[in-house]
Amino acid sequence: MTKNKRSINITIKRLFKWYLPVIALILGMMLVYCWYLSIQIDKRFSGRRWSIPSKVYSDTTILYPGQKINRVLFNEKLWHLGYRKVTHKPEEKGELRISMSSMEIYLHDFKVPSRYKEGVPVNIRFDKDRIISIVNSITDQPMSIMELEPEEVMLFFGPKRERRLLVSIDQVPMNVIHAVLAAEDHRFYEHKGLDPRGILRAIYTDLRHGSFKQGGSTITQQLAKNYFLTPKRTLIRKLKELFMSLTIERLYKKNEILEIYLNEIYMGQNGSEAINGIGEASIFYFGKAVEELSLAEAATLGGLIRAPNYYSPYIDKSRCRKRRNVVLNAMYKQGWISDEELRTTLPLPVKTVGYAAYRKKAPYFMDYLSDQLTALYSPQDLSSLGLKIYTTLDTQVQIAAENALKKGLETLEKSNPALSRTDPQKKLQGAIIVMQPKTGYVLAMVGGRNYSVSQFNRITQARRQPGSAFKPFVYLSGLDQFTPASILSNKPVTYEIDGKEWTPKNYTPMTEECVTVRDALAKSINLATVDLAMQVGIDHIVKTARSLGFSTPMKPYPSIALGSFEVIPLELARAYCPFAADGVLPFPLTLKSVLDENGNILEQRHMTINEVMTPGKAFLISSLLQSVVEKGTASSLRDFGITYPVAAKTGTTNDYRDAWFVGYTPDILALIWVGFDDGAPIYATGSKAALPIWADLMNALPQYVAGGWFRMPQGVVRGMICSENRQTAAKDKCPHPMEEYFLADHIPEGYCPTYGHENSFKRIINGIKGFFNTF
Amino acid sequence: MGSKGFSIHFKAVIATLVFGSLLTFLGCAPSVVKSKPSASWETSQNAGGGQKNIEKQGMSPRALAALQLTEQGRLFLEKKQPDDAIGILERALNLNPDNGRNYYYLAEAWLMKGNFGQAAQFNRLAHIYLKDDNEWLKRVLLQKERITEEASGSGPFKR
Repeated sequence: MTKNKRSINITIKRLFKWYLPVIALILGMMLVYCWYLSIQIDKRFSGRRWSIPSKVYSDTTILYPGQKINRVLFNEKLWHLGYRKVTHKPEEKGELRISMSSMEIYLHDFKVPSRYKEGVPVNIRFDKDRIISIVNSITDQPMSIMELEPEEVMLFFGPKRERRLLVSIDQVPMNVIHAVLAAEDHRFYEHKGLDPRGILRAIYTDLRHGSFKQGGSTITQQLAKNYFLTPKRTLIRKLKELFMSLTIERLYKKNEILEIYLNEIYMGQNGSEAINGIGEASIFYFGKAVEELSLAEAATLGGLIRAPNYYSPYIDKSRCRKRRNVVLNAMYKQGWISDEELRTTLPLPVKTVGYAAYRKKAPYFMDYLSDQLTALYSPQDLSSLGLKIYTTLDTQVQIAAENALKKGLETLEKSNPALSRTDPQKKLQGAIIVMQPKTGYVLAMVGGRNYSVSQFNRITQARRQPGSAFKPFVYLSGLDQFTPASILSNKPVTYEIDGKEWTPKNYTPMTEECVTVRDALAKSINLATVDLAMQVGIDHIVKTARSLGFSTPMKPYPSIALGSFEVIPLELARAYCPFAADGVLPFPLTLKSVLDENGNILEQRHMTINEVMTPGKAFLISSLLQSVVEKGTASSLRDFGITYPVAAKTGTTNDYRDAWFVGYTPDILALIWVGFDDGAPIYATGSKAALPIWADLMNALPQYVAGGWFRMPQGVVRGMICSENRQTAAKDKCPHPMEEYFLADHIPEGYCPTYGHENSFKRIINGIKGFFNTF
Repeated sequence: MGSKGFSIHFKAVIATLVFGSLLTFLGCAPSVVKSKPSASWETSQNAGGGQKNIEKQGMSPRALAALQLTEQGRLFLEKKQPDDAIGILERALNLNPDNGRNYYYLAEAWLMKGNFGQAAQFNRLAHIYLKDDNEWLKRVLLQKERITEEASGSGPFKR
């Protein structure tokens, strides 16, 4: 006994001497490690937890009774906005029922800078493509205006290409929380980060099945693994996960941990994009905010967490349904749903909203926008700060423009096989920009035929000769000296430029030696235009061009009158805007505002305008350009169904290198360019190559065609002139009087000398007769 | 003298009258023609209903829809939120570019923001579109005065 006691004492002494210090050392090291981890965790969690890609949105869409719309494009828009067709009367936000004469939509809620719109069910009635009425289905009140939310058009992804919509735990309904807990860790609120019972149960299940069927990880462990560690299955990683879980549980409250977890978890894949977090998953699978999820949908999401792509309803609905029902049963077992809820939900099918694979929409527009954004924010900020970027883009106009360009170029290639190229890089190219002339809003931009082949933006980066599309600026320069009725010489003249002779020619030979200003521009007569330019002064024309925002070099050569100096198409389109905007030059606006993830406005841009010509001159040029459509080089527009008033100008450059068409109404302006990048001829004029594309585009956009024309402003007068001598018509005497506009200080000084004389002579005779009658 | 004398005198009178009338025609004709055109030319004031294809403001559904946005913009101005007002007024302008009140309120918003150049530009446009509306024209002219005052530094807004 004594010996034994001594032996125990020795053992205890040894224990105290050797083992306990070792244990204390290990414990100390663990504490230091946990302390180190707590610093790391705190650093990560107290800072920015996730990289959220910034999102770019289009403008909102406005509808009103009386408006004509393109129903095909509108339906496409609704699809992109997440509205889904149903056969019953829409009961939930995002549901849509369509018939020939009506459309019932349960609008989504949406928030744009300074405004929040609550979704209401509406009924839109149509007469063909015209909206007859819009009625709020709840109140039965007619609505004079309806606004649809902006459409997401691009994301600034980081290297991980993750989509994530953050939600707070307060937003998440209990059904969703219970579904997640039932599926992953029903004792979450009871354990301290580790769940021994769960681990034992997992080991038992695994042993019973002879394979790795169930993991024993708690939600906290999963969070530690997903957020801080690699997915490698090693003992060291598992130990780290364990320490981290314990540390996280000590540092944070349960609800905080759950909120981070719900935002962190991987929930599936859309092409190359990862869907992360319960908020984004709600949108991706069901097209609704997490707050609006039904019990069945909540259970579906809960079931997805274990293997999102395996259980994805987009991959196998039946498998997804089985998994969902496992979760529903688990919820019932925990007492989180009632017997009735279980019974009614189990048989429900899995319904999804459908999705379109992510595609960068309006890529050239987005590149142009990105250039502006990267001047404000670093690429890293754009891919992580979750900014909301609102633009002027109208996705319906963009789609219409892309379609019109594609169709137009294909038609040209078919009509002339010489234009076809096998090398995609060398194919016939085209570009379109659509603007609202009064505000400068850029509604659409197509910088080329195929963005994946060529990212060169032919609207913002190309420099091309405008040809006759430049002529309106020449005529604008001449309005202080000439009227639309003034006569110009159409005789050939040779000019000397830098010691070289230059003899301009007309596109088609003409016999007339004199033409009016109106006819010269309408028929795009080169000789008359050069005559006007020389009388006005080339320097004056260059000055006018500069005032309209052209930034490319222009020298005072007579050939400038025929558009021989290269311009940037965007600047050309912008320079036409003042004609449609009472002489005001707008700044081309694409970026409207940038908001941070909390909705605070970081950047806001408004239309800015600058008067560059009088409203009278703007009106006169519009009137002259209307003649281009009525009787000039663009008269074929009528053949394409354009019957409302339009002002336009065609342009064709030497050897048919470029074909242009710029056309506008008070509401919309579009520029079309067609050509080869290498300057090869396209063997077609602006009216043959570019005009049909413009017409096709406008025919697809009835919502922008009000059919109105410009008001005659102060400073302009209208009257009848004699078509033979361009003087004021003698009333009832001139056989062919015609209406003409003039600047008020440039009206013709005399009456028609031909027929006006007869009138005066008769007045004398009448006077004499009157005299005799007095006797 | 007798009847022969009368005849000679009569012929002389006739000749004088004819010649005088011719002189009057030749000499004064330009002045008549110069004055006539001003009477026969139609200006924006007397054009009235003769203008073609112009939607009457406030009548069409499009104008009504735009006016609703204009009203929202005005309410933002009342709340002294010029940026928000500008955002919505621009949308109204896109919907109906002929809405003169939009320009008036845009001028007001820019005035509130202290950008007198833009305020003046929009005031000028308001003047163009509201010239036929006496009540609004008065407001536009008063606004113009205020802009001038503010630009010269004598108004209540601080630059």
